[in-house]
Amino acid sequence: MQKVIQISLGGHTVMFQLEEDAYSALQSYLERARTRLKSDPDRDEVLRDLEQSIGDKLVSLLRSENRVINRREVDAVLEQVGTVDAGSAEAAGPNTRHERPRRLCRIQEGQWLAGVCQGLAAYSSISVEWVRTIFLATSVLTGGLPILVYIVLMFVLPIARTHDDYVAMQSSAT
Amino acid sequence: MDFDKFNTLRKGLLEFLILGIVSSGRVYAADMMQRLSRTDFATQEGTLYPLLSKMRRDQLLDYEWQESETGPPRKYYKLTTSGRKQLAEFREYWESLTGLIDELGKPSCKK
Repeated sequence: MQKVIQISLGGHTVMFQLEEDAYSALQSYLERARTRLKSDPDRDEVLRDLEQSIGDKLVSLLRSENRVINRREVDAVLEQVGTVDAGSAEAAGPNTRHERPRRLCRIQEGQWLAGVCQGLAAYSSISVEWVRTIFLATSVLTGGLPILVYIVLMFVLPIARTHDDYVAMQSSAT
Repeated sequence: MDFDKFNTLRKGLLEFLILGIVSSGRVYAADMMQRLSRTDFATQEGTLYPLLSKMRRDQLLDYEWQESETGPPRKYYKLTTSGRKQLAEFREYWESLTGLIDELGKPSCKK
């Protein structure tokens, strides 16, 4: 037994009848879209456009038949519409710039050895003096384990030449 | 070939291609996707709608509603004056860029 849910979509006058799981697939798509567009000032309008487009596709699928739409059909339509990509809209938004850089690099500018501590400092927003102090202190206390970690990181981490390069790498990586 | 690098490039260019499409007259979103569908820039509603609304906020495009025979009214887009200006600037820049790429590719005269 399947429950059938009747819905309207973005300006369409026809009502669509969806099987319950088709309805939840559509609902969760629209919720995800809403979340992704959270910093878009025109969020409601974009959501309405998307709804209308989904409605258009369902109309052409039904070809004026009055029947219930199943999950597979909704999934196919959502596949066509595609994941909401707020990237282009967000780039101009005020929120993206304040995010902390997420990738760890070693930074050659001001390095003592290979810039791993500089990288850790930039990554965690802790001053490099503190990172070095903690590093040296733990090295003494644990008998050199951090030194091993340092050597591994030296080979693994990508290199940024200066702090500015590091910031630029982070913003282009998102 | 490094397709990821080209992806970034394509993503940045999409906005200008849309300016180009809209410059050809009043179009609605499905027209744009149709025009792009057979190119490397094929795009979906999920990408296009947020971009169009951003371009409208930047005052490059504007739309008006028009009744449709088959469904709800549709938004028909057209370029604003600054949209047209930006498209002209882009075309000029693109030309100078391809010129530069060709030129840099030639062997240098100096030894």
